[in-house]
Parts: sequence; C-alpha cells; structure tokens
Amino acid sequence: MDETSSRAPDERHSPEPLVVAVKRTGGFAGLTRTWTAEARGDEASELVELVHRCPWDEPVDSDPRGADRFQWNIRARCGVDEDRAAELPDHAVKGPWKELIDAVREWSESERRPAQQR
Amino acid sequence: MPHAIVPPYLLARIASIREPEFARAAEAARETLAVQRAYRPPRRSRLRLSLDGADTLVAETTPAPDRTISDAKNREELPGVVVRREGDPPTGDTAVDEAFDGLGSTFDFMWDAFLRDSISGAGSELLATVHFGRDYDNAFWDGRRMVFGDGDGEIFAGFTGSLSVIAHELGHGVIESAGGLLYRGQSGALNESIADVFGALAEQHRADQTADQASWLIGEGIFTDAVEGRALRSMIEPGTAYDDDVLGRDPQPAHMSDYIVTTDDNGGVHLNSGIPNRAFALAATTLGGRAWERAGLVWYRALTSGTLSRTADFAQFAAATLAAAEAEYGEESEEVDAVRSGWVGVGVIGNGRDEQPRA
Repeated sequence: MDETSSRAPDERHSPEPLVVAVKRTGGFAGLTRTWTAEARGDEASELVELVHRCPWDEPVDSDPRGADRFQWNIRARCGVDEDRAAELPDHAVKGPWKELIDAVREWSESERRPAQQR
Repeated sequence: MPHAIVPPYLLARIASIREPEFARAAEAARETLAVQRAYRPPRRSRLRLSLDGADTLVAETTPAPDRTISDAKNREELPGVVVRREGDPPTGDTAVDEAFDGLGSTFDFMWDAFLRDSISGAGSELLATVHFGRDYDNAFWDGRRMVFGDGDGEIFAGFTGSLSVIAHELGHGVIESAGGLLYRGQSGALNESIADVFGALAEQHRADQTADQASWLIGEGIFTDAVEGRALRSMIEPGTAYDDDVLGRDPQPAHMSDYIVTTDDNGGVHLNSGIPNRAFALAATTLGGRAWERAGLVWYRALTSGTLSRTADFAQFAAATLAAAEAEYGEESEEVDAVRSGWVGVGVIGNGRDEQPRA
C-alpha cells in the first residue's frame, strides 16, 4: 500500500518534519536555554518560510565591544538533505532571524505550557 | 585638560607675586592659568564630611558621579529616552531609581577603594538604559553603557535590584578602559571574573562587610520565588548557587581539574570564571578584613598595571596578581602568601613555594 496516498497533499511534499532548534548561551547569567519547534504539513509552512528568509550563508560581523551579550545557535532541518546551522552574536538577532527565533520560542513554550506552569 | 610642565599650584603662586621686579612673570602666570581654565572640562565634585579616629571632623572634596539613566520603553533600541540625570529627584520608576543609586554606590566604592574616578579614571559619564526589550532576560555592557532588561517575571524578576549586577556591568567598562581582556576562553573568563569581583566588592563596601561576613554571591535577589536558588553565582563555592528543576544545577567549576571546554558562551566565559572567582574569594577570606582593601587592591593593580595582555590566561593573570602583591606589600608579605594560596587552591599554580604559575 502506498502510504503517501493517504496523506494530505501538502504532507506529501514534506514527509520529514521541520525541526528548528534554538540554543541561547551566555548573557550575564550564563544560563543555557533551548527551544525547539517540530512541525509537519500546514503547521510547518510558516516556519519553513521564516527559515528560508534567514540569511544562513551571509557572514556575520563579530562585535568585539561589550560583554554579557547572548550567543545564539540555530539549527534547522527542513528535509532529509537540508540541514542549516548558524551561530549569531546578539547584535545580529534582528529582522528574519528575530522573527524565526521568536516563532520557535513561542512554539516551544506553547508545547510546554500544559505540562509546566511557569 | 592640557598637560603642562609647570604645575597649577606653582603657577598660582607665581601669579600672586606682587613684587614689581616679578611683574612680567606674574602676568604670564595669570595668563597661563586663564588659558588652562578655558580648556578645563567641568569637573563634578562634592564635599564629604567624616570623623577620623580622634573624632575630628574631616572635610574633603571628592569627585562626584555623573549619571544619566535612559528608558528603552521595552524596545530593543539604544539609548532610549533620558529619564533621570545627575541632580534630578527620584522618578518613582523602580528600575530607573535602582540603576541610578546602584551606579552611585559603585562609583563610591571605586573611589574609596582604588581612588578611581569613574570608569575611565578621569570622571567619565555613567550611562545606563533600563526597560530594554520585552521580558528581556539579561543585563549587559554594550561597550559604552550598561543595559538592563526587566526579566521575564518567571525566572528573572529584574536586574537592577542587585548591586552586584550593576557593579559587574560597570566593572566591564573599567576592564575595557584598562586595556581589555579578549572576551573568549580564559581571557574572557578572567574578564567575567574581574567583573564579578567588582560586583561582590561594591556590595560589601556598601554594607561595610568584612570578607567573612560577605555572602560572595552574584545576583542575589534577581530570581523569582519560583526558582530554587540563592543567586546566579557563588564566588566562594562555585557550582552551588542554584539547583532548580527548570534551570538545572549551577554548572560553574571551582577548580582547574573541572575546567569546561565548550564553544558555547564564547568558550564558557560565564562558566570557567568560577575558577578565578574562587581564587579571589580564597585570598580575600585568608587575609580577612575588608576584601577591597588588600585582595581587591591587588586584583585592581594587576588589571591596571598596563602590562596585562588582552589574551592573558589564568596563569598569566595569577602571575600579575603575585607581582602586584609583591610590589604593594613586599615579597615576604602575608598578602603575597594569601594570593598564592588562592591560586594554588583552584589548581592554577602548583603547591611549591617558588613554583611559577602554569603557562
């Protein structure tokens, strides 16, 4: 039996789930926080668009000034052969990067909320 | 202020000479003084009154801080809108007034402990921005100003309530002004540790605590009640500040044998800072008394010696503190012994009396 024939059309195009993981390290507290979004089909479309809008391959200027800024590590798996990763200083988190990070945090926190009250 | 070969007090004396044979010299001195005054930047100072040991009233003029607090209005843009300047009354906004007062306490600490006039040592402005971002879980130094988020209300209740946080951020400014320590790996962990030393000492100075009375905690009171923890870091017992089901356990190492190798956090600058933090706390508690008077002075001299490399590792900084202690107190002094035992206690240098810090 062809399993894909029973799935919704949009799922046929993305049989693998979209996984975006955000890790935040550093900051004054030096606490590591992680957020993950794992989505399929319709649920994934908005995140897929955000992933594609981010400038993954553009070099990021490191800013030697300052201290206690966050450091961000972002990984996305959009399919079997599509892995992306970026490491960003806090000052680079703007535009599409910020939108993607905020979306993943929101996704992750809405998943966590029923089990966790804080 | 322009540098001059004839000091101002001498110019003033010459300018006051009334004998006719020195009229030209007196006139020249008066002109020189007038020119200098035109170039002299406005200096803030204040009169401080205190009692000395014999209950004599002592009046002295000391520098005064020049603080400006801005409000980012929950946006992530700097500097925000100025809401309180030096001399302004309290605003009623807790974060604004706490930042203002905290900068004042840190300024007082630096002057009393090290005769340092603000971040630059030459009376520079103290700039801070509060209410940065929405639920922003951080306080940082951006290279020019201190920036404070409000916290998310779930883990962090805010950052301006802790003087150790404010003095830590200002400490980063002093480190940068002194030549800087590259914010990566061991030099980055030293940068963090020295900022924590500033944080802890400013709190101890405000409370007039001795080393054995101090908590040696950094960020006490910034967690919400929901978090199982006393503070963010413990300088005297790194790794024991919190143990929480969401945050996990305080990961700071207290000894070189537990040094953490990682690419996160600029190479673990907030993790491995536990090692030099404990070295300082051990030296200070061994010496006893007010920690800023001897251990703090030694660390400050090592930082501001002008010879510390931007890429110094723990061993190089240990050597710099030993050299500073020897210069300040003598080779056979108890201060040198206490500093050495601090670094031995965390495994940065070995046990032998003549052993040099490990490169």
